[in-house]
Amino acid sequence: MSATATIYLLTAAAVFGIGVYGLLQARQILRQLLAINLMGGAIFLLLITLGGGAEGPPDPVPQAMVLTGIVIAVSATAFALALLVKLQDATGSSDLDPPDAE
Amino acid sequence: MIALTIDAIIAIGIVWLALQTVRGANVFSAIIMFIVFGLIMSLAWARLHAPDLALAEAAIGAGITGALLLVTWRRVHVLEGRTPQVGMAARSLWLTLPTALAAALLIASLGWVALTLPAEPATAGELAWQRLPEMGVSNPVTGVLLGFRAYDTLLEMAVLLAAWLGARVVASELRPGALPGPAHEEVPLVGALLSLVVPISLLVAVYLLQAGGSAPGGAFQGGAVLAAGGVLLCLTGRLESADQTSLIERIVLILGLAVFSSVGLMMLPLGEPMLAMPGVWAIYLIETALLLSIALTLVLLFAAAPGLRRSS
Repeated sequence: MSATATIYLLTAAAVFGIGVYGLLQARQILRQLLAINLMGGAIFLLLITLGGGAEGPPDPVPQAMVLTGIVIAVSATAFALALLVKLQDATGSSDLDPPDAE
Repeated sequence: MIALTIDAIIAIGIVWLALQTVRGANVFSAIIMFIVFGLIMSLAWARLHAPDLALAEAAIGAGITGALLLVTWRRVHVLEGRTPQVGMAARSLWLTLPTALAAALLIASLGWVALTLPAEPATAGELAWQRLPEMGVSNPVTGVLLGFRAYDTLLEMAVLLAAWLGARVVASELRPGALPGPAHEEVPLVGALLSLVVPISLLVAVYLLQAGGSAPGGAFQGGAVLAAGGVLLCLTGRLESADQTSLIERIVLILGLAVFSSVGLMMLPLGEPMLAMPGVWAIYLIETALLLSIALTLVLLFAAAPGLRRSS
């Protein structure tokens, strides 16, 4: 395995872990969405690096899957953001634990 | 050696920006860090010989997602009348430490597994490369998207449409079309800027679409660039939210799915499998329809409105 592949595989692992940490720690739903998007990005990076991206043009199948994944991620994020706006209208807060509940 | 140094800098940048996204002092700076994360990710895609992904990440991952996050942040936090400054520190140390340790353990095990994973002996990609000439396009990613994994692409359009429909269903009656209008008097330069940038976004979108057959590009990247032009028109108040989705908008929204499905079914009576492409013209026809649908869906998602109309 080339050094480039090693670098990007470890980066993917690190970003995924950071995403999990952020998801568990976040108090605001927007932050949780950011963390989930980070995890998604890490998976994309893993797929392409394992598909041989470091050595030359990567396998076109994972590339197409990641391209699909990026569009799905923005769709899911957009829907989640619409739910967030609705949640705030319904409860008056967009946080996980609203201040008055503490 | 220089190449490795660049990779290392990109990798450090990605990890650092991910950390800043998670630890940002407030939600706003976390979103900004996430957008920059997307931009550096697109550099990583370029280094990994995946220019199609670099374009998609910059236009969709960083651009459109960032615009959506920022406009929602404005709606939710600014209009809420308070910007919560509660950062990560708000959680007790007793929770933070074990979570951080568990995440570190996860990183170590993921890294170990990824590094020791044996290489696949034979992949579908090799088959795709071999049979690419039959598709009539030389960009393997476009070939896979519309030829070998056409179901994925078709259903991806369905997901995008479903996301917009879902957003419409949950849309608040209290704040119909909360499009952020310009908060200040119009600056004279805005019009001049728009008259340059919006036609260029159209030009780039059409170029990406046309190039997609043989070079990096395609409907998704082009659609996102066109959507960026639309977002700009919304932000500067040139387009405002309408109460209803007009007939033209409805047609454009489903155009991608409709054209893709009808071309896919067309070859069925001739004994070909479903979604078999009758020729290169079909690929470009579908890509054009996809581009228009993607662009309008993304702009409408950004505007959180049923439809758009020119401002009076």
